[in-house]
Amino acid sequence: MLLFEKRENVSTKLKVAIPLISVFLGLVAGGIAILFTRTNPLIVYQALVKGAFSSVYTFSETLVVAIPLILISAGLIVAFKMNFWNIGAYGQYIMGAIFGSFFALNMPATMSRPLLLAIMCLAGILGGALWGLIPAALKAFWEVNEVISTLLLNYIALYILKYLMYGPWRNPASHGFPLSKPFELNAQLPRLLMRTRVHLGLVFGIIAVIIIYILITKTKFGYEIRVIGENKRAARYGGINITKNIFIAMAISGGLAGLAGLAQLSGVIHMLQIEINPGYGYTAIIVAWLASLNPIIAMFVSVVFGGLETGGYQIQMAIRVPFGIVGTIESAVLFFLLGGEILKRYRIRFRRNTS
Amino acid sequence: MDEIIVQTKGITKYFPGVLANDHIDFELKKGEIHTLLGENGAGKSTLMNILDGIYHPDKGEIYINGNKVHIQSPFDAMANSIGMIHQHFMLVDTLTVLENVALGLKSQGFYIRKPEIAKQIKQISQKYHFNINPYSKIWQLSVGEQQRVEIIKTLFRGAEILILDEPTAVLTPQESDDLFKIVKKLVKEGKSIIFISHKLDEVMEISDRITVLRKGKVVGTVNKNDVTKSHLAKMMVGREVLFSLKRKPLKRKGEVLKVKELEAYNDKGVKALKKISFTVAASEIFGIAGISGNGQKILAQVITGLRRATSGKIIVNEIDITNASPKAITSSGVNYIPPDRLKVGLIPNLNTVENAILRCYDREPISKRNFIDYKEAAEYTKSLIRKFNIMVPKIDAPVKLLSGGNMQKLLSAREIAEEPKLLIAVHPTRGLDVGATEYIRKQLLKERDNGLAVLLISEDLDEILMVSDRIGVIYEGQIMKVLNIKDAERNKIGLLMAGVDSARN
Repeated sequence: MLLFEKRENVSTKLKVAIPLISVFLGLVAGGIAILFTRTNPLIVYQALVKGAFSSVYTFSETLVVAIPLILISAGLIVAFKMNFWNIGAYGQYIMGAIFGSFFALNMPATMSRPLLLAIMCLAGILGGALWGLIPAALKAFWEVNEVISTLLLNYIALYILKYLMYGPWRNPASHGFPLSKPFELNAQLPRLLMRTRVHLGLVFGIIAVIIIYILITKTKFGYEIRVIGENKRAARYGGINITKNIFIAMAISGGLAGLAGLAQLSGVIHMLQIEINPGYGYTAIIVAWLASLNPIIAMFVSVVFGGLETGGYQIQMAIRVPFGIVGTIESAVLFFLLGGEILKRYRIRFRRNTS
Repeated sequence: MDEIIVQTKGITKYFPGVLANDHIDFELKKGEIHTLLGENGAGKSTLMNILDGIYHPDKGEIYINGNKVHIQSPFDAMANSIGMIHQHFMLVDTLTVLENVALGLKSQGFYIRKPEIAKQIKQISQKYHFNINPYSKIWQLSVGEQQRVEIIKTLFRGAEILILDEPTAVLTPQESDDLFKIVKKLVKEGKSIIFISHKLDEVMEISDRITVLRKGKVVGTVNKNDVTKSHLAKMMVGREVLFSLKRKPLKRKGEVLKVKELEAYNDKGVKALKKISFTVAASEIFGIAGISGNGQKILAQVITGLRRATSGKIIVNEIDITNASPKAITSSGVNYIPPDRLKVGLIPNLNTVENAILRCYDREPISKRNFIDYKEAAEYTKSLIRKFNIMVPKIDAPVKLLSGGNMQKLLSAREIAEEPKLLIAVHPTRGLDVGATEYIRKQLLKERDNGLAVLLISEDLDEILMVSDRIGVIYEGQIMKVLNIKDAERNKIGLLMAGVDSARN
């Protein structure tokens, strides 16, 4: 018979061992899936790691994917610490991209590059923050469930983007494709390394992580959101202004998602289009939770997720396994990681049924 | 009568870092009420959870009717005719009594045969005078009635041995009396009862025999007729216990709190306070006595700004604080020990330091500009721990790991350390053991001697009588009468609590 006993405290050893074993078991399960494509899983895994981390180029591609994840998850952690379920990074990312693009598309090509980029970044943050403040206001004044409101605002953001792309912002020279004019050089974030696509967004991400970490662990604001997140009634009793903190937290959360969207456009895509990878907004939710809401750990988890995606493209080309396999491996690993959480909370004992 | 129905031999149970039960020998005779007495953390509930199959002993044997048994789960316990009524009820609020009884019954198949179950529930209800309708929803029932549903659940499953885990902790005095009648009736019908408690008065009232536990060990088993209350208290705590506290007579000084014709509504939209008026002076403990649900909780919430007043005024030191924000009220010198430490007063998952600074995190020296100096905060916490004698093994561990008494001490310490002019304390000793209770009450008296005005709201009449200078009796949102402590007789207060004013009739 299986018995579950509640654990009061988890030792550090277990805290490290459980996720490692979970990842291993996830890879085993993923390996079984790979066997169905008549390929040796070890070769696939080897290629996956090689495809993600082995050369300067592949690692740089991994970082390119990690940049938006780092920025978004840092922001999400602020909201999640407060127990505010921001599922809307997807929409906030799109709005950041739209607001930033407005300046990229409308300012003269002769404008100073640092000035234009600074304006674009601020606009990106503002766009994401405004989109984040809508559910904050709905929650603060009318108690609207934020899961629903943030989720629905994602669709609204997507359709605003579609409207602009099929309508006023479409490039007349794009032969009817829903693309904007390409960004001029002064609207492109500078690259950090020659012949790679790693852009200045990486620096933004690292700065954001440091600021968020300090914000949560050292400031009054951080203390207040943790109290609100853990016990709202105690927060009210302690005289903490919950409404104000919801607004600030969502401005930060949305703002960083918006900056991520802007950075992806200005650093990688160089034009506004319909497919700008807002799905990072959802992946970042997983990143934040896997990192136990620690922004520094989240940064490393983001790189791992970046590696999975980049490596996935590589194995598709090198070994010709379907890209879906990567999704399968990713899901299997996640499944085991989340399952491992149970072991952190309960001690499981086996017992023979004697009676 | 001397037939032994339950016997444990050498039951031992370890929890990480704690020896919860240390070779416990215990026996229950058929048809007796056997009380398990001990402070919080003495191991009473652990032992009973072992009998009920929730925990499994590391060592030791259990015999039922002389046969050795292995109880693996509450199902096994039930098969051995053991039923436990937990302190926190295991009922589904939105379901009916019948559905709760049927829940988990193995005899029922895919379909639940409702009329049959209803008939049996009615039979049990009649036999023991429970007065429960099988088709009522749980949320419609009072706490006392819900407890009776729990008893029905165990009787329905054929329990012969009933374990009641601190059953009176959630009941009013009247409801407790009703429960005792039921328990006596159960014994008359041949059931055997294990009664867990740390309230000496009720233990003396109900028990046949008493086994005292201290720190996981059996101190002794005694017949009720051979012992006195103070003897039991000494066995339980390991030292002499005071049943009354010394109190300096003090003159009423200036009035600190003035409540004038205050009105407010509860969550259901019913008027819970009806033009209530009273005052509390410096160096005075004003006790509010009343049966739970007569507006006490609402009163505390309105004064502390957690609920809106619809009319009337609250004045503290000549400043009108009616409907001000909780923060503004606190900074005008009002502090609050709320009734529910885990839901309102503390943040269970945060550590001791983070809980200790809830009132002072936004001023110097704990915070400078927008940053919190956690080193300074830790120093402050340690000084509270020293001054108020709080047992905290690790100040950076979640506060939920502390014992109830230490949580309450921490909470009280935090509020008192703010040096308020007015302290509102609601059920400050509920669920605490004798030692912690005594400590908190002494602390209230000490602060009163230093000039603090205290509004004490409690359902424990003994507590009110022990520490108050004046007593206001609340009934249906109104103060029936205010009595000076020297005129306060138990009977008179009891009648007022039930809404009867003998002077008026």
